[in-house]
Amino acid sequence: MKKVSSRENLVGRELCRFTYLVERGKIRELVLAIGDDNPLYTDPEYARARGYRDIIAPPTFGTCIDLWGGMDFTTLCSKLQLNPVKVLHGEQEYRYFKEICPGDRIEAVCRLSRIIDKGKMYLFILETEYFNQEGELVLSSRHTIIERK
Amino acid sequence: MKQMETPVFYEDFELNQSLPPLTKPPVDRVQLVRYAGASGDFNPLHYVDEVGQKAGTGGVIAHGMLIMGFAGQAVTRWVPNRYLRRLAVRFTGMTRPGDKITVTGRVVEKRIENGCGLVVGEVIATDEKGEVKLKGSFEAALPLKSTPL
Repeated sequence: MKKVSSRENLVGRELCRFTYLVERGKIRELVLAIGDDNPLYTDPEYARARGYRDIIAPPTFGTCIDLWGGMDFTTLCSKLQLNPVKVLHGEQEYRYFKEICPGDRIEAVCRLSRIIDKGKMYLFILETEYFNQEGELVLSSRHTIIERK
Repeated sequence: MKQMETPVFYEDFELNQSLPPLTKPPVDRVQLVRYAGASGDFNPLHYVDEVGQKAGTGGVIAHGMLIMGFAGQAVTRWVPNRYLRRLAVRFTGMTRPGDKITVTGRVVEKRIENGCGLVVGEVIATDEKGEVKLKGSFEAALPLKSTPL
């Protein structure tokens, strides 16, 4: 329980800030793993014919930005003082403001917004905002981590 | 693919309308390894059985975000990417290799806001036994066939 009080100090704080360069190959890898054959993710001609600058990132690409550009799972656990084997991904929300394309340089800022004690578990709410090279907000994320007690 | 070519309007959706289900091939271990590499989530719980046994899941389980990827694939078949504003899910069940996931959806709210047609839908991923893996919602801001005066 004293563990919680030291973790409480992190609430409202910026956990990490990082830059991630969007790669065409990473988008391709992700949609191949999902098995999503939408050509908007792989065919630049197709995407341009539909008014995009280039291929676009799929709705769950934020996870690649986070894990390849920001904190990996181990770093996240040590930063939040989480026991890795007790951790589950509880909820995930994305809000979409603008398309993300290869070559975009994304700056992400991640904050711990709340820790909720649910009795049998703690919920950690992480909020991340993603800006492109023009300084435009392109994506935001609300990630709920469950730590079973 | 074809769905991207035909324009989609707010008027094309009806309240309580069921959206075409998307059934994915059974999740397999190669897919979990691919997803680990693509997303950068290298938690061994997703590809080493012994870790799963220790964690009490009885073996490897799929990344929640892979199943959210399936949900994203379904949602962007219902609504073109450019109109998607929000996708949020809660992970409710574990997916194991061999599970065959179907994503279903339904329109739960429609309203016109600032000259845009807002459509809110629910999205649910279940396996062939009907066990719910994730449940969530999406929001899309669609153009209107008739521009309001």
